[in-house]
Amino acid sequence: MSLAKAAQQEHRRDLRIPLAAILVVVALAAPFIGSRYVTHSLIIALIFMLPAHGLNLLVGYTGLLSLAQAAFFGIGAYTAGLLAVNYGTPFYMNAAAAGLLAGACALPLGVPALRLRATSFVMCTLGFVIIGQAIAKNWISVTRGDMGLSAIPKPHFALGPLSFTVSGTTSFYYMALAIGALSTLAVWMIVRSPAGRNMIAIRENETLAESLGVPTWRYKLIVFIISAIFAGVGGSLYVHYLTVVSPLTFQMYYSTTMLIIVLGGGAGTISGVVFGSLLFVGLTEALRITPELRMVAYGLCLLVLVFWFKKGFAPVINRFWDTIGGTK
Amino acid sequence: MFSTIIEQIVNGIVTGSVYAIVAVGMTMIFGVLRAINFAHGEYYMLGTFGAWFAVDYLGLSYEASIIVGLLSTIVVAYVVGRLVMQRMVGAPAEAGVLATLGIALVLQNTVILVFGGGYKFFSGGYIEPLSVLGFSLAGQRILILVVCLLVFIGLELMVTYSRMGKSMRAVSQNVECCEVVGIDVPKVVLHTFILGAALAALSGVLTAPVNVSVYGGMGELITFKTLPIIIMGGLGNVRGTFFAAMILGIAESLVATYVGLQFRDTVGFATLILMLMWRPYGLFSTQARF
Repeated sequence: MSLAKAAQQEHRRDLRIPLAAILVVVALAAPFIGSRYVTHSLIIALIFMLPAHGLNLLVGYTGLLSLAQAAFFGIGAYTAGLLAVNYGTPFYMNAAAAGLLAGACALPLGVPALRLRATSFVMCTLGFVIIGQAIAKNWISVTRGDMGLSAIPKPHFALGPLSFTVSGTTSFYYMALAIGALSTLAVWMIVRSPAGRNMIAIRENETLAESLGVPTWRYKLIVFIISAIFAGVGGSLYVHYLTVVSPLTFQMYYSTTMLIIVLGGGAGTISGVVFGSLLFVGLTEALRITPELRMVAYGLCLLVLVFWFKKGFAPVINRFWDTIGGTK
Repeated sequence: MFSTIIEQIVNGIVTGSVYAIVAVGMTMIFGVLRAINFAHGEYYMLGTFGAWFAVDYLGLSYEASIIVGLLSTIVVAYVVGRLVMQRMVGAPAEAGVLATLGIALVLQNTVILVFGGGYKFFSGGYIEPLSVLGFSLAGQRILILVVCLLVFIGLELMVTYSRMGKSMRAVSQNVECCEVVGIDVPKVVLHTFILGAALAALSGVLTAPVNVSVYGGMGELITFKTLPIIIMGGLGNVRGTFFAAMILGIAESLVATYVGLQFRDTVGFATLILMLMWRPYGLFSTQARF
């Protein structure tokens, strides 16, 4: 870079903080800016962001391609739905139980599955989704089979004498936004910690990581469980928002959607997942694209991502961020 | 009681033949590409839809619809093979998984968009029962059995003696060496892929009169059942695939009768997970090849 050019760029102001502030304001004011349908689309995007964050830890940071997210999403959805319908428990308990149960299921499933390599691991995780669906369909005394659960109450909070029900779209949006922000923060903290660096080491070269003393097996299992917890909490939000859940929650559709968010947004980046859920879920929902057309688009996106656009939007986002920061 | 068991086993063998014809294509594609083709069932679906279109829209006979189903699938397979599968040579395993998942989504949902998502009724085929060795079996089922045997005998001969078959085996053993001795690897990949897709379509066309209903999502289930079979058979192993498909077909048939119909489709995935844990190289291979 020539000196003149560098000098010119130094004069450019760092717009990153103003832009971030604008984004926060837009996020907070969204229900009042857009229509109710736009708010709905954003809620769906925020809900999908949770399992996608979990999947990103697995795919993007640890390098394990998993299709099991839909299984844990479904487990979370059923757990929260059953608790809310049968016991009327407050939302935070449902969400916590959904996350914990999904994580607890991930332990016995992860132990055998993580011994497998590449394609075998993918097939095995796909199997979890199919078996989850079979259980949801056939354990009729609990899950009511194909009929699914309906009339699941809107999330309500009860703290001592105080009780509050999140009934409207706007209030649900703020709840989803808060949970989404918290989960993003949680992922950021995991990734920034020494554990995050070990995860990246496993992704880059598992044998080398092992030889340097990283307990790779334990790390992979823990990340698998954490990703399931994220998916479970996402499932609990989903069920409370839609107020119905059926065995169709255990479907490849959900795993594929989460995979597209992570890979399209940019695996191994947090901003990529946030951007990916807005683009691939929020935008398609807002444009009212039919599920079939959406799946065709996702399929083409996957092909493009695999062969031409390998890092997704992450480099684009980074370049943009650097440009407005005046550093490049 | 005893005759029911025999009847169920015969049914299972017919189902197994259907699976075997689909699975052998998938296992051969795995052999040359080292990638699981998650879109394999979609070619089964395409074949069925081609035949259904020929019977329902064009008013052709069932025999002609077999040709239409096969040809339309071969055309699609050629395009997919040129654009996608050939690029997968030497690509990491994840790329293969994602690319074939993408193809599955595109094919399946395009068919649903064009023809609608509802169930279609397939009329045609030889559904009159014939009496063979004291069994009453629909002519179509006998046709499936015969075709399955012919396909496997033909493949066995092709893989052993023909130039194409030899180069397929060579590619499945070592891609670099093939390039050194002048085997056109992308061409072998394309041909194997088209052959595999056409076999899946053949299986679909032959099964349509038995299953009667035709719908866009039918391929997914077939892909899911093919996975345990090719693992059981030992990836890339043609003969093993035949026996593995029979085992799954018979197991499904017995589970459907004695445990419950709703558990039939779970057998495959339970088998898959058990196989992956216990013998990831299959029942018929002695050691892991891949």
